[in-house]
Amino acid sequence: MVNAAKVLQDLRASAERKPDVVVRLGKPLVESGAVKKLDADAWLVYEQVAIAALEVGDDTLAHRCIEALEAKFPGSARVRRLQGMQLEAVGRLEDAGEIYKAILREDETNVLAAKRQVMLLRTMGLPAEAIGALVKYLDINYTDFEGWLQLADFYLEELMNTFVFLDQLLAAFLRYAQAAFCMEEVIMLQPQNHVFHLKYAEILYSQDSIGLALKQFCRVVELCKDHVRGLYGIKLCTSRLLKAAPSRNPAATSQEDLKAIDLLATERLLAVYGSGNAAASVKTTSAKWIESA
Amino acid sequence: MGAWTVIQERQAMLLDPAIRDWVLLPIMVVMILVGVVRHHITVLLNGTPKKADLKSARETKGLQRGAVLRAYGSHLPEHAFEARKAYITDAFEKGTYLKDPKGGNKPKGNVMQDPAYVEGMMDGMKKNMMNIVPQTVIMGWINFFFSGFVLIKLPFPLTIRFKSMLQRGIETQDMDVTWVSSLSWYFLNLFGLQSVFTLLLGSGHAADAMRDMQAMSTMGMGAATNPQMGPTGQPQDMHKIFLSEKENIELTEHEWGLENVEIRLLVKYGKLPRSILEDQKKAKAVGNASSSSSSSAASSHVASSTSPSQATMAAAAAAASASKKKGRRQA
Repeated sequence: MVNAAKVLQDLRASAERKPDVVVRLGKPLVESGAVKKLDADAWLVYEQVAIAALEVGDDTLAHRCIEALEAKFPGSARVRRLQGMQLEAVGRLEDAGEIYKAILREDETNVLAAKRQVMLLRTMGLPAEAIGALVKYLDINYTDFEGWLQLADFYLEELMNTFVFLDQLLAAFLRYAQAAFCMEEVIMLQPQNHVFHLKYAEILYSQDSIGLALKQFCRVVELCKDHVRGLYGIKLCTSRLLKAAPSRNPAATSQEDLKAIDLLATERLLAVYGSGNAAASVKTTSAKWIESA
Repeated sequence: MGAWTVIQERQAMLLDPAIRDWVLLPIMVVMILVGVVRHHITVLLNGTPKKADLKSARETKGLQRGAVLRAYGSHLPEHAFEARKAYITDAFEKGTYLKDPKGGNKPKGNVMQDPAYVEGMMDGMKKNMMNIVPQTVIMGWINFFFSGFVLIKLPFPLTIRFKSMLQRGIETQDMDVTWVSSLSWYFLNLFGLQSVFTLLLGSGHAADAMRDMQAMSTMGMGAATNPQMGPTGQPQDMHKIFLSEKENIELTEHEWGLENVEIRLLVKYGKLPRSILEDQKKAKAVGNASSSSSSSAASSHVASSTSPSQATMAAAAAAASASKKKGRRQA
């Protein structure tokens, strides 16, 4: 029991999203009442288990946790937000929205409620409103890099949902530019995370600024050695750039460097796939593609 | 022989057990009880925390925006950095992020008429009173009734330098350092009961002697809790802060971290010798020093490997960009 509490505490500290683990460990704690022995931590565990239970769809467990919290902290904004999430889980979106609105009326700086409202709008199928709300939120809570990441996803999602006709191409490019802007903010706030660099590189590639994308892909591989997706990105960019006429821009990568980088990426990819961990079919297909490109 | 008798006499000094029962223990018990009572009174007085204001949050976060750009802007490509720089300097100049964008530059009237300020000050005063009054009273009590008392003998030897710490209030030259005076016992308790309070009240308690010291040194009118208050407790002119931040941003030159990332990557995998990076650094330093052309990081590499015409073109373009930058600086 002590160990379960410790694991839950570690998960809270690292903010990892492992609802299945939390429910597996937390359910016996809550149901046996052993959670009460944790004193002040008990309420944090209740909250954590409640959110995880909503995520995995265990509504009775969530209800139990939230009731315990409601009894201890009646009228608290944090508990009411959980109740809102519970309503969201059973599909009563309007009621949930009312709760969030009420919380924000009392305390307009409540970050949790503001975030829930954004996601609620998205669930309701109002992406434009969700984007508007998130932009307003980020204007104030500038340093929330996860918010910027979500905004980039919103823009990209909108691209996927709308079929791009020729006359919408301009709008599509605008969306990519907006997503790229969001990723730039994320990179400034979290410059050491190669995943964000990768996402930015892929957006740049879609925007057709191959030279920049190549540099970003190189950055990914620099930060995370033998990152396969980064290496493939380098291959894609170099093959495009080598086929095109040599750039006249002095800041662009020189042909020699392009060839060297291309060679390096090929070599690393073959080495990664040849290391014995990959299946034979994957090996041959990837080798074929790498050599043809 | 004489010295020997002195030591003998010292060790022969006996304390009345009544001192232990009526002075030593009461001081400790009183201090613990006062600490507990103080904790509860502080909790009562604190009441509900002040509600944060959306606009002031935006103001502080807006400033951060500039700081982040200055510190981490090198991770962005040139066009992205310049766009942000232009936007932020403009916004800071106009005071877009200020609580009150229009009246930002006006000097504030009498701060005493600002209810928020007065309330914050009263809050700070209340907290200070809670901290200082009980300690003063206890110290007065000890000074009045027990001044000059020797209360306890420490069971371990100490050097002479501890004398001023352990025998405050007794100015004797010859007494052994291990004897502790009443006033020093008070101070030992003041600083030593920390963990006892943590045990009794849980962490984050308000019976903290260290906070007393802080309160005494800053006489903090809630300065720590309110970012808009300066060290003097006066509200600061946020527009001025924004303007100085704007100046800082304008002075920030963009130096893209990915300019030679391909070469760095090749070096990392051992395809190119490490010395090439150092050569580049040197070439760059030379280029900057002569200020004729802030040649791009890769230019030496380019120049060595490409045709002369391309190299000259690169140099010309670099010179053009350098002059552009200079012009911007002058503007």
